[in-house]
Amino acid sequence: MSAIDRVTDPLERFTQAHAARMAAAVIVSVIAFLWLPIGVLVFMSFADGGVLSFPPDELTLRWYREFLTNDAAIDAIVTTLTISIPATGITVALSTMIAYAIDRYVFPGRSWLQLLATLPIIVPLVVTGVAMVLFFKGTLGLPDYVAVVIAHVIRTVPFATLVILPTFLSFDRGLEEASKDLGADEFETFRQVTLPNVFPGVVAGGLLAFTLSFNEFVYTYFVKGSGDPTLPVYIWNQIRYNVTPEVNVISVVFLAVAVSMVLAAVSITRVELIAQR
Amino acid sequence: MPESPSSTDEPADGSGDELATDGGSTAGVDGRMSGLTTYLRERPRLRTLAIAGPPYGILVLFFAIPLLAMLVVSFQADQIGGAWTLHNYTDFLTSETYLTVVWRTFLISVQVTAIVAAVGYALAYSIVRFSRRTTLLLLLVILPFWTSYIIRMYAWINILQSDGVLDSLLDLAGLPALGLLYTDTAVLIGFTYVWLPLAVLPFYASLTNLDGDLIEASKDLGAGPIRTFLSVTLPMTINGVVTGIVLVFIPTFGSFITPRLLGGTNNIMIGMVIENQFKSAFNWPFGAAIGMVISVVVVALLVVAMRLGGGLFGAGGETA
Repeated sequence: MSAIDRVTDPLERFTQAHAARMAAAVIVSVIAFLWLPIGVLVFMSFADGGVLSFPPDELTLRWYREFLTNDAAIDAIVTTLTISIPATGITVALSTMIAYAIDRYVFPGRSWLQLLATLPIIVPLVVTGVAMVLFFKGTLGLPDYVAVVIAHVIRTVPFATLVILPTFLSFDRGLEEASKDLGADEFETFRQVTLPNVFPGVVAGGLLAFTLSFNEFVYTYFVKGSGDPTLPVYIWNQIRYNVTPEVNVISVVFLAVAVSMVLAAVSITRVELIAQR
Repeated sequence: MPESPSSTDEPADGSGDELATDGGSTAGVDGRMSGLTTYLRERPRLRTLAIAGPPYGILVLFFAIPLLAMLVVSFQADQIGGAWTLHNYTDFLTSETYLTVVWRTFLISVQVTAIVAAVGYALAYSIVRFSRRTTLLLLLVILPFWTSYIIRMYAWINILQSDGVLDSLLDLAGLPALGLLYTDTAVLIGFTYVWLPLAVLPFYASLTNLDGDLIEASKDLGAGPIRTFLSVTLPMTINGVVTGIVLVFIPTFGSFITPRLLGGTNNIMIGMVIENQFKSAFNWPFGAAIGMVISVVVVALLVVAMRLGGGLFGAGGETA
């Protein structure tokens, strides 16, 4: 025991003395690790001299101009939006219903609903992607567009539910009782009392669902046929087969979408909610 | 489109309401809706069904049943609807190549999980115990997670390739180039990068819930910071640790993007074999069988994790 103490005591004292400094070092270095690659992407989008040569000789806006005149890239963005926007709407509706049902009602299969709404996060994307292409295309023969929108809904519902459910659970139901005591019926109460209170959570859930759908790759890659790639599929093809400097610009587009959506979501709810993953 | 039928019915008689005030027209909707809600209130089962039914149905039809369909197809020969067979499994399980791939995938996943758990826990601990600007730091940690996975991998291609950012900087410092792209190290870095934010969150949550008095008590009783950490903090936050480990291990085990983009031709992982079955070999039943193999590994891990006390399914629910 004392032999161990002789080894550990100096360590303990060292840790005690330098804990705050060590913590600061960890925070700074890990956050630098997380952000430096993103900084590299943004910087390289202004680099002259084409793809992947560092350091660049000159900075330029040339690749941004080329991106704006590249129909394939713009089409990919439009394709992505025609999928992400309806998928987000459906997801918000479904997730709100799930949150409402789990919060308000006790029914057989309630825990199954919660499990089903969580599982898509846990099952590896490649497994669900395979299952979806087999069932959507092989069994049901769904058209590409419908299959991809459904896939995006399945991908985004768990995340939206994770954000929306806590806002329902933390909502003070005494307010609803008060509304009803004052003569409002159930629907009026929902519209005038419940909805305004859970609205920020619902919007935040929608913003994150949109972000996730805009970035969605694995399900789309499996479920979708070859034509009309979404932006993530387009960029995957670019990276795998012919990298052009535009890829850096598209990276910045992704970054801008993610940062603005997440900041908007955080600004209307608590960061811990978004942080649930 | 699988839309819920309720709550969106606009008044069809809107034309007659043109002169009515805003309040007037919504009163019409309210009236009808309150008729509906009264009807539903008297039938609580129907009411529950109307709210829980649509999402339930969609998750079952488009998530649960496809997984079952995958199980069924994995027992069919050559194509969907082919003759029943066990060949997909026997072929896979007797192939030394595939078993090697599974073992390598497992080893990489273990390494990634260990690195991410250690670094992520250190970060979460530092933020919770030593920083006052937790909101800002948490935001800085999670923001990269919400950008495109492929883009984040592409960033590392920029950095790690020969003559990339890293090698150029090393060159400036007079050090030899590393040329890390297409190596195991690149794959480890890539995975660590994408999963770190994901693991920090459950660590952070469990550390925030930890009662600080317990740590003070341990120190009052004479334990140093390391002993306190090992005998109080870590055991008290084991649920968060297990959740984080599960959240990192499972997607790593099934991943194909990172090894495809950052790994070399000898860094094949099991997810890439599946991708191959669906994108070039076109043997769907065999791909389905491999999907089942991954699922079995995942379920086994989840069972172990639940035994150890990971609060996975309550995530975001009752704990909030």
